Amino acid sequence: MRLWVDGTHYEGRAIDLRATDVDGAAVARAVRGEALTPTVTPTAASAVYGYVGHVRPGMGLRTKTALAAAARSRGMTTPYDDEITGCRERLADLDPERPELPTQVDPVADRTVREAAEAVAAHRGRVRVHEGLADRDASEARSDLRAAARRLAERETEREAAKQARARRRDAAREFRDRLVARRRLADRVANLERDARASLVDALEGRFSAALDSLPGPSPDDPFDAPPVAAALSVLRLADAEAPVVLEVDRFGDPATAATWLSAPVVRC
Amino acid sequence: MLLVVTYSRAARRDLRNVCRRHETCVAQELGRAALFEGTEFAAFQALRLREKHDLAVQVEQLDPFEPCDAPARVADAARAYEHRAEPATPYERFAAGRDLPAPESMREEPL
Repeated sequence: MRLWVDGTHYEGRAIDLRATDVDGAAVARAVRGEALTPTVTPTAASAVYGYVGHVRPGMGLRTKTALAAAARSRGMTTPYDDEITGCRERLADLDPERPELPTQVDPVADRTVREAAEAVAAHRGRVRVHEGLADRDASEARSDLRAAARRLAERETEREAAKQARARRRDAAREFRDRLVARRRLADRVANLERDARASLVDALEGRFSAALDSLPGPSPDDPFDAPPVAAALSVLRLADAEAPVVLEVDRFGDPATAATWLSAPVVRC
Repeated sequence: MLLVVTYSRAARRDLRNVCRRHETCVAQELGRAALFEGTEFAAFQALRLREKHDLAVQVEQLDPFEPCDAPARVADAARAYEHRAEPATPYERFAAGRDLPAPESMREEPL
């Protein structure tokens, strides 16, 4: 591995930074690719580094989750993987974005349309009266009728537009909610499958995990999953395919080189 | 009455809180949905949820639905089928010999 930190370049299988004040958490972040400095190669490709990439006193650990990640780093698979992939793809196809709804249009009351229609009927009556009288007001009555008819047509158009806008809003909202429901179902399904997958990976590695704990200096618990976080983290690392540097702030081994050998991983001792 | 349906955890939580705090405006609590009474105050609570959670809250206005509100052939078919002599007979077969509407025709017919 290579490490550039505070203007110094380090190279090797085990790097001891105890004499410097380099922050182990910062190195671990860089290994996970979450920070650009310090510069380190190679960086972690596996999720296992998120759990055990920085081993330090007082750390917490979800042992089974970390062990399952170690199994994944070794390329182990489970019978659930295909369905998990399928569900994830379907989930990615379901757009979670809230749709832009068509503009809300105030509904036009039926009464409004009825009144406009009554006005047209009234004007039509007046036109007939004036035409019967053949008087000068007939043309004025006719133009009033035309205006009333125009108003009626406008009100009817508005009412129809409002109805359609409302229907479009409902449809868009419904489609979005159907997507939300489908996404929730798929997400729950993925969570269940991942639990099953994790359990099967943990089952597959439990024996080797227990053996790794036994070969660590210090006492071994009866149940390997009761092991304290530091011991569990080191044992998980021993089983993981760990190409990228591991940051250690604990002394379970004589020196960083021994740690690197036991873990089969590059080690940065901070 | 109003039917309020929630589509997110946060909306569901707030619906539960409304149901707890304002029992008078809730006729039925149904998990992620609830039936609200047909009052202005219930509408006010439903609209508050809608305002806060946007499309994650659906509000529908409900009317009672009686057999006479459905077309007679549909209501008759439901009554006849529920009084069938053979419990195992699927509706499709039951309808075929009896001049009752086929399930397909009813599926395509809006109410």
